[in-house]
Amino acid sequence: MAPKMEVKSLDAWYGSRQVLYEVSLDIPEGAVTAIIGPSGCGKSTFLRCLNRLHEETPRSRSSGAILLDGEDLYKKDVVTVRFRVGMVFQKATPFPNMSIYENVAAGLRLLGVHRRDELDEGVVDALQRAGLWEEVQENVDAPGTSLSGGQQQRLCIARALAVRPEVLLMDEPCSALDPIATNRIEGLIATLRSEYTVVIVTHNLAQARRVSDHTAFFYLGKLVEFDETAKVFENAREKLTENYVSGRFG
Amino acid sequence: MNAARGSTEAKNAPRVRLLRGLDRIFHAATAAFAAGILLLVGTFLAVLLSGAWPAIVRYGFGFLTGDVWDGVHNIYGALPAIVGTLLTSGLALLLAVPIALGVAIFLSDIAPPRLREPLSYVVDLTAAIPSVVLGFWAFIVVVPWMRGTVEPALASVTGGVGPFSGPALGLDILTATIVLAVMILPTIAAVSREALRAVPRIQRESALSLGATRWEATRMVALGQARSGIVGGIILGLGRALGETIAVTMVIGNIFQIPTSLLSPGQTLASQIGNNFGEVGPGIGLDALVELGVILFAITLAVNVIARLLIWRMGENGRSDPSRSRWRLRSPWALARRSRRPLGARSSTAPEPWRERVHAAAAARIVRRRTVQWVMVGLTVACVVVALLPLTSVIITAVEHGGGAVSTASFYTSEPPLECNPGPGRTCSLGGIGPAIEGTLILLGVAALFAVPVGLFAGIYLSEYGRRSRHPLARSASFLADVMTGVPTILVGVFVFVLFLQFDHNSATSALSGGLALGVLMLPIVTRATEESLKSVPNGVREAALALGFPRHRVSLRVVLGSARRAVVTGILLALSRAAGDTAALIATAGGSNFWFQGLDRPTAAITPFIFNNFSSSYSNLQEDAWGAALVLLLLMLVISLGARLATRSTGAGLDGE
Repeated sequence: MAPKMEVKSLDAWYGSRQVLYEVSLDIPEGAVTAIIGPSGCGKSTFLRCLNRLHEETPRSRSSGAILLDGEDLYKKDVVTVRFRVGMVFQKATPFPNMSIYENVAAGLRLLGVHRRDELDEGVVDALQRAGLWEEVQENVDAPGTSLSGGQQQRLCIARALAVRPEVLLMDEPCSALDPIATNRIEGLIATLRSEYTVVIVTHNLAQARRVSDHTAFFYLGKLVEFDETAKVFENAREKLTENYVSGRFG
Repeated sequence: MNAARGSTEAKNAPRVRLLRGLDRIFHAATAAFAAGILLLVGTFLAVLLSGAWPAIVRYGFGFLTGDVWDGVHNIYGALPAIVGTLLTSGLALLLAVPIALGVAIFLSDIAPPRLREPLSYVVDLTAAIPSVVLGFWAFIVVVPWMRGTVEPALASVTGGVGPFSGPALGLDILTATIVLAVMILPTIAAVSREALRAVPRIQRESALSLGATRWEATRMVALGQARSGIVGGIILGLGRALGETIAVTMVIGNIFQIPTSLLSPGQTLASQIGNNFGEVGPGIGLDALVELGVILFAITLAVNVIARLLIWRMGENGRSDPSRSRWRLRSPWALARRSRRPLGARSSTAPEPWRERVHAAAAARIVRRRTVQWVMVGLTVACVVVALLPLTSVIITAVEHGGGAVSTASFYTSEPPLECNPGPGRTCSLGGIGPAIEGTLILLGVAALFAVPVGLFAGIYLSEYGRRSRHPLARSASFLADVMTGVPTILVGVFVFVLFLQFDHNSATSALSGGLALGVLMLPIVTRATEESLKSVPNGVREAALALGFPRHRVSLRVVLGSARRAVVTGILLALSRAAGDTAALIATAGGSNFWFQGLDRPTAAITPFIFNNFSSSYSNLQEDAWGAALVLLLLMLVISLGARLATRSTGAGLDGE
């Protein structure tokens, strides 16, 4: 199957500090790709390049090409890129000035969906997909910030899913959550796999192993190894990868 | 070994007891200074009310509805001033808010990061222009422009009826409105900017990730979350506008009447007090003026309390935390939405067809959204340009008219000239502002003697003792100090004047009363600046010093105050510059004089009253002198406020939480 996104010799900088070197990677469609590596290896930056969020950081720049369905991201309007490639952050970021409903509807409104029934449908659908609907259906008008940490993160996933992106980027979505909430989100990722292409950055090796089909290992801004998850974890080509996944460093 | 330690402890015991005692005394002393602020506010209220009491009793509610101010027959009514105040302030808000918001958005979200700081400084500088200088500029630049260009144009567009009817005088409600808008714009812009900046970047990134343009991210997320801070800033600006005396007096035309159009001259509560205060002796006329002050105080107090509650709500780090607040602002449509019909669960639909249709539609709308984005960027840039025009024009005008005067050495050492207009074969001496400079320095000295120790110790109490204990004294003192910074300075002048009247009629207008008035004005600023600077010293510093065995008072005085001294000194300097630039408190108290200092109990000259008394002088040499004084004052203010910015920035212990 053709890859959903193709990254071709991507370099990225913050100011004069280079954080990514010549990264080339094909992200398979309809699968979960995990990005692992020690802190500061550039995995979050890599993720932020995939929806061109990297360029919003002051004094940052990048070079190389990223293709989405064969089209160069940098030749498209950035807004189109972003509703096709959604993102969930490390910390849950519900908009505190909006209700649960409005949080999820925010992206739909940006897309130009304004009819009440269409909005309702989109919001409920997204909340259902994010597995939050059962818990919040009674009070969707409560502030988004009134939810628990795990619920807030699922709200953010619902918000990202509402615009039906083709690719969903997740930047350590569970790192601030307790094991039960983590479990729910991992379960959620498994159900998303069929309809979305998911790229997840994670610190948690066990998580990468549980949720992903493919795993990329980054080290010091370089892509060391990219393969099926089982191979990376059990039969790595590179010594470095093997050391990392077996917990000998990092 | 143990015996040796025991004997050392025994030897040290008296010393330890002494230090404990000193600690207690220090705690009590600083608490007493903080209580002094409560006492001051209490006295302030009592003096104003008792001063106005005869008028309140005599005129009752009729005072609020009467529309005549007749000092000969002692008939007094406040209605025209109330209407004038509300009208000018309300319209000034309408003018200033959109521009201030544009400026705030540009400086927080749009400007290139490198430009944000310096440009913010420059916009904030407008707030440092003393109101007497702004009024002078408005009198020379804005008034003729309004009279010659704007008002005839407005009249011809509207056909000379409605709100723009009547002759184009230039000195009227509309001009006062514009001057007020210029004054409050930087306040609103600064508070809104900080509120917008306090919204975390990740919130904007979340919006961007949903496919928002930068403008949409600002509108949807940042503006929404900064809303209460922005509203607080607007109300703070409103408070300033309501109480502004001098600049309004200089351009409003000063006719006590209910305005029939925006082009009619009028009067505000503050300008009516400022205009008449020096001219009435003790008696019912004075009491009526004080009652105007009470009304003004009540209005500004309400406005300031609301503003402070809204700004405080932003929390310690300036970030909005709606869940913690009882003062949450809800938009009316959010409330209306509650009545929506219940949502039902749906069977999940496949994303594909929906996605294709909606994404294609969205892609088609991108050009429009981009256009909106660029229009908004253009508008905010235009707002910044408009916001910088007054400052630029003030500086140019002051240099043009006063540049000659300030470049002669004798200007700083001579007395004001005799009134004179140059004619054929007649040249006029320029004179100088020597006595005014001397007077201002003496007034500031008196003010600092009062305000600096009290404010410093009260600030230490609020930060070092009040924070931990959350003692009601600390909370109320801090809150009242904040509210006091918003009290119109004319009222401070009235307060000190009336207070002095109780003791000694003659010294009510004197260097001493003027200095005290400026001190009252400085006190809350020094207190809050000290409190905030000390609070910014990390707790670890205190704990490390305490762990070394330092007594509490030494920790507070040497360690904490020592490490925050630059910010504290900067705060005092800013307070001094506010006092040096104030006119309204002085025209009620210092009395005014053209002569060198004659004693603390005698009226004294000062720079700002000198400008105010001569701004409309028909004698060219006096006008030039006034411009020279204005330029001196302006430069002083600009240097101090820029210096303060730079000083606090380099220590990192900023006054406004930067």
